[in-house]
Amino acid sequence: MNYKKILIAADASENARRAVDYVGRIVGRSPGFEITVLYVIRHAERDLFPDDKSWQARKRHEKEEALHVLRELKELLSTKGLERGTLSTDLLEITDFSIAQAIMDYQKNGGFGTIVVGRRGMSKAEEFLFGSISNKIVHYAKNCAVWIIE
Amino acid sequence: MSKEVKELVKTIRPGLSLGEYGRVYRDTSAFMKISYGDVIELKGQHYLVLRDESERSFGIEDPKYWVKRCIHLESGDRKILKLVFHEKFTLKLGDLEIPCYRSPRKEARILDLVRGDKRFMQGQSYHDAKGNVVRILDVVRGKRLDHCVFEIEKGHRDYFFQDFPRILGKFMDSCRAIGMLHEKREIHGDIRRDHLWREYKGGRYVWIDFDYAYEFEESPFGLDIFGLGNLLIYLAGKQIYTAANIERIIGERRVKLEENDFSLLYRNRIVNLRKLFPYIPQELNLVFLHFSQGAEVFYETVEEFLRELEPCLDIIIERKEGWS
Repeated sequence: MNYKKILIAADASENARRAVDYVGRIVGRSPGFEITVLYVIRHAERDLFPDDKSWQARKRHEKEEALHVLRELKELLSTKGLERGTLSTDLLEITDFSIAQAIMDYQKNGGFGTIVVGRRGMSKAEEFLFGSISNKIVHYAKNCAVWIIE
Repeated sequence: MSKEVKELVKTIRPGLSLGEYGRVYRDTSAFMKISYGDVIELKGQHYLVLRDESERSFGIEDPKYWVKRCIHLESGDRKILKLVFHEKFTLKLGDLEIPCYRSPRKEARILDLVRGDKRFMQGQSYHDAKGNVVRILDVVRGKRLDHCVFEIEKGHRDYFFQDFPRILGKFMDSCRAIGMLHEKREIHGDIRRDHLWREYKGGRYVWIDFDYAYEFEESPFGLDIFGLGNLLIYLAGKQIYTAANIERIIGERRVKLEENDFSLLYRNRIVNLRKLFPYIPQELNLVFLHFSQGAEVFYETVEEFLRELEPCLDIIIERKEGWS
């Protein structure tokens, strides 16, 4: 695996921004790095909405927000001395439950040697009830380095 | 309008007399208006409304205006009709607040999925004239399982060795039922003590009310599994134990309790029951501790939970022989 090929898993949170900022500071102006910022959307379930209209509106909003965040994060990385040609972004919409699994599949298929993910402070109870993407990646990612940015 | 209902009752169920004859509703959107003496008509079938269902919490009767106790006029059977009420509310679990949504669509889907599986309440759904998804449920003739257990008039040791093994065996089957839902990408969504009932006839355990939906980050089944753990601990203990009530329960015996002995979410509830009842096998207690503040590893699937729980039944039965 090429550890200089870095996959940053992002979302709209401040933690994701911190993770991108950290990577920029560490690898900015260093040669040979290739960075992809990936935003995985698992759209809210239809069950949470009274009708199709409000569900579709939410899905549109989620996608627009993701594209906006990706543009911002790419911009942020380019200010750290990374050349635009070495930066890419990708948006993945999934229907499976696990965002962590989608990130790990993307890493494997793309030959990324490093996964970077931000972590928000989550209580044990929250982790039990809702699960934690970063913890799952730490436990199950294979053949790559994992950076957790708090 | 009252004439229409009077005629209907006279034609379909002539033996029935009502104090009040209301109107016939084919559109159930305004469910607050539908009350005693009204008839809901769905797919040519008629449901005479007797009353609103209510839930008792903290000693207060809380009416559920969207849930109607009815008589199906054509058959004379009692039915519960759940009308459409899209509600977003906050579910409080200990200190955590979880935004929840009431989803008629989800419950209708699960009713289809579990048709014929008597571990779940049974029913079907129809659209009313305005497209509302109305669920028509068979009445579960029974009682909340936790109430049945609490009312067993025995000390804990006798209960644990004489009654709990049978209860645990049946509870594990209820867990398998939830596991089956998860395999089909569905969740119960509201596993708590008042949603598992024991039928009077045959003693079967039945899950009710699966219309809750909520958002999660990575683990879709966490809330259900936590509910199963809570129920298990209640059933094993025969009640809830808190720092405030254990003195009354265990008498003068001294028990040193630590933070990690308490529930991860309900921070006043003791889950390390072996400290109170040393005859509880270590293996079973370790399952309880997965739901404690000291837990480092959590069950992610019902299968994982059952893998550790299933061997405990034989262990209790072996110990029972040792104790007698």
